[in-house]
Amino acid sequence: MMTEYSNLSLESHNLSVTAAPITSLPVEEEMMTKAAPITSLPVQEEMKTKAVPIISLPVQEEMTTKYSNLTLESHSISMTAMPMKENNKGNQICVDRGIMLQRNVTLERPNMPAEKNITLERPSNVELTCQFTPSGNLNAVNVTWKKGDKLLEDNYLVNATGSILYTQYRVAVINSKQMGSYSCFFGEKKQQRGTFNLKVPEINGKNKPLITYVGDTVVLICKCQDCLPLNWTWYSGNGSVQVPIGVPVNDKYVISGKHANETRLKITQLSEDDQGTYWCHAIFELGESEGHVELVVLSYLVPLKAFCAIAAEVVLLVAIILLFEMYTQKKKKPSDDGKEIEQGEQLKLDDSNGIENSGPRHRKNESVGQ
Amino acid sequence: MAYRAEPPDGGWGWMVVLSAFFQSALVFGVLRSFGVFFVEFVAAFEEPAARVSWIASIGIAVQQFGSPVGSVLSTKFGPRPVVMTGGILAALGMLLASFATSLTHLYLSIGLLSGSGWALTFTPTLACLSRYFSRRRSLATGLALTGVGLSSFAFAPLFQWLLNHYAWRGALLLVSALSLHLVACGALLRPLSLAEDPVVGGPGAQITSLLCHGPFLRYTIAITLINTGYFIPYVHLVAHLRDLGWDPLPAAFLLSVAAISDLVGRVASGWLGDAVPGPVARLLMLWTTLTGVILALYPVAEVPTGLVALTVAYGFTSGALTPVAFSVLPELVGTGKIYCGLGLVQMVESIGGLLGAPLSGYLRDVTGNYTASFVVAGAFLLAGSGVLITLPHFFCFSAPTSKPQDLVTEALDTKVPLPEEGLGED
Repeated sequence: MMTEYSNLSLESHNLSVTAAPITSLPVEEEMMTKAAPITSLPVQEEMKTKAVPIISLPVQEEMTTKYSNLTLESHSISMTAMPMKENNKGNQICVDRGIMLQRNVTLERPNMPAEKNITLERPSNVELTCQFTPSGNLNAVNVTWKKGDKLLEDNYLVNATGSILYTQYRVAVINSKQMGSYSCFFGEKKQQRGTFNLKVPEINGKNKPLITYVGDTVVLICKCQDCLPLNWTWYSGNGSVQVPIGVPVNDKYVISGKHANETRLKITQLSEDDQGTYWCHAIFELGESEGHVELVVLSYLVPLKAFCAIAAEVVLLVAIILLFEMYTQKKKKPSDDGKEIEQGEQLKLDDSNGIENSGPRHRKNESVGQ
Repeated sequence: MAYRAEPPDGGWGWMVVLSAFFQSALVFGVLRSFGVFFVEFVAAFEEPAARVSWIASIGIAVQQFGSPVGSVLSTKFGPRPVVMTGGILAALGMLLASFATSLTHLYLSIGLLSGSGWALTFTPTLACLSRYFSRRRSLATGLALTGVGLSSFAFAPLFQWLLNHYAWRGALLLVSALSLHLVACGALLRPLSLAEDPVVGGPGAQITSLLCHGPFLRYTIAITLINTGYFIPYVHLVAHLRDLGWDPLPAAFLLSVAAISDLVGRVASGWLGDAVPGPVARLLMLWTTLTGVILALYPVAEVPTGLVALTVAYGFTSGALTPVAFSVLPELVGTGKIYCGLGLVQMVESIGGLLGAPLSGYLRDVTGNYTASFVVAGAFLLAGSGVLITLPHFFCFSAPTSKPQDLVTEALDTKVPLPEEGLGED
């Protein structure tokens, strides 16, 4: 299997986890050349019985040579946990080289569970590394790898340097079967693990619904930030059922795209039936990714009704204002004779205009010489 | 027909204030909030933002240059029919815009048609307001102009909501319905006949006499100079702050703070303009000088607290100068000629407004920062306030002694008895 995937890129991802005691070192000689100090013999024997599988060097070399012309991606996560023991007084006690030191220290919470999202676009070799700094015995930690819930038997190695435990998992990702969640476990506690999520790139559709009117033409766009899918397909969704959109059906749908990282679906002659959610699927070698765009088709009557309602309200306002004025004018009519008494009459009868006669007049209309 | 000697100073005048408030909201508030539509137009027509922003520029230019037309028509027919027609035109422009298929459509419908509608509404309304008030003119003008600031706060979110629910075509249709309210506001402008009206003659005669009127010309020059510098901070403040290292959100927030202090300044100055005796031109000179000085200080302020203080002060003083600017005119030319006078002033000052922002931008491109732009803006304002000193009766410290009869006696003698009768009513 490995020979077939020699043309794949190699991706290396590291995760460092620090927690409680760890497993012992691998026994194989090949591993010893890579690793640093090893645990004591009794532990080694202990380890043998535990049967921690390791990748042998020849196999590793085989794998590397097969996939050497592929890109290698390297990701690492470091997790640190300060191991603490609590005494009955409630203070934190540090255990340093077997000596108990009582200090008031803050418990540094481990960043657990550590998770990393890895976006893969094309087939590659992936190297996942977990780094683990325990507080106690390195040898006592049992290292396991899981994909989802399935326990992995091979393709990983474990070694220790000083007080840090490393474990590395290699996988050749060539199709969607190898994508998913890979986790390294240190010991039995569920907290002491790191997770790598292998995903295809995400597609961006549109979050807000697109509003259009009957008879319009609309262009739905799906974009992918930094990726180049192999192919795009469009589906229209009614509820949970997705119906593919076949291209030229009387020119109503036109699929095009200016660049490889986007796709455009042009829909002409919109009708209210075209309303709903449209899905764009981007096909990669490693799987499929989808985005969605929501389309709302309104009839022209919708805003038109609102317009007519407001226009009617304006007409009503104007009518009220003019009628009110005509009503007040009628009250003034009897005074409309003779300019001599005009001033006085006007002042008396124009109560609706409320003239103010009192007080000094500061502002006059000045004529400043013409 | 009955002629008043004095503006009523209240009563129906307050309804005119209400009408002017809504009109300034519907004209300038819509213009200022139109930026929300720009994003949609850029996407819908696939045109660059510079070409899309011409829509608003054409609208503003038509509104200001068309002001004399509105003035002339109001003098002849009274403000009411003119403003109502203007409202219908403005709404029609927006209605046609909702069917647009290209950017040129929008230039013609929103820019030209709605712009001319706005030209027929705003100037006659403010002039009408000046005729209804004499003692409380500044306060009334200040209150009416607050409509501009408040509506910008309200319309921007409203337009965004309309866009989210109806897309830009439906939203334009509803903005058109909103603009129809200008017609209702126009209906509120009851015609008022003042003593000077038969004296000053028709619009043609008014314009000719205005153009020969020394103080009017000097006032127009002063206002034009002020207008050149006035808009620069609004246009360039955010960019200047970004240059100094501010984030976009606090910079935009500071602009909102300036808008609020602008509102407060308008009302306060309006009240002050009426309370202080003497020509209003002095207050205008005070606020203009202060604004000029503040603008010139801008390049000096680097500390955030200094900039915030300067911006609040700028908002207050620049808002304060607007109502008094409108109040000086009736004192100069009399309420009889106010329509034509205001129209001419608006037309000429628009030249200053159109030149100011590009000039400031050019200076910034040449010098590399906004120091020169702000200093030049301040200089324009100070120059304008300098010209204001040349206005007549500027240095009078007592209450003005001239009475309406001065204006009237220069014309026909038969009208002389009228004002005396009016004064006899005291």
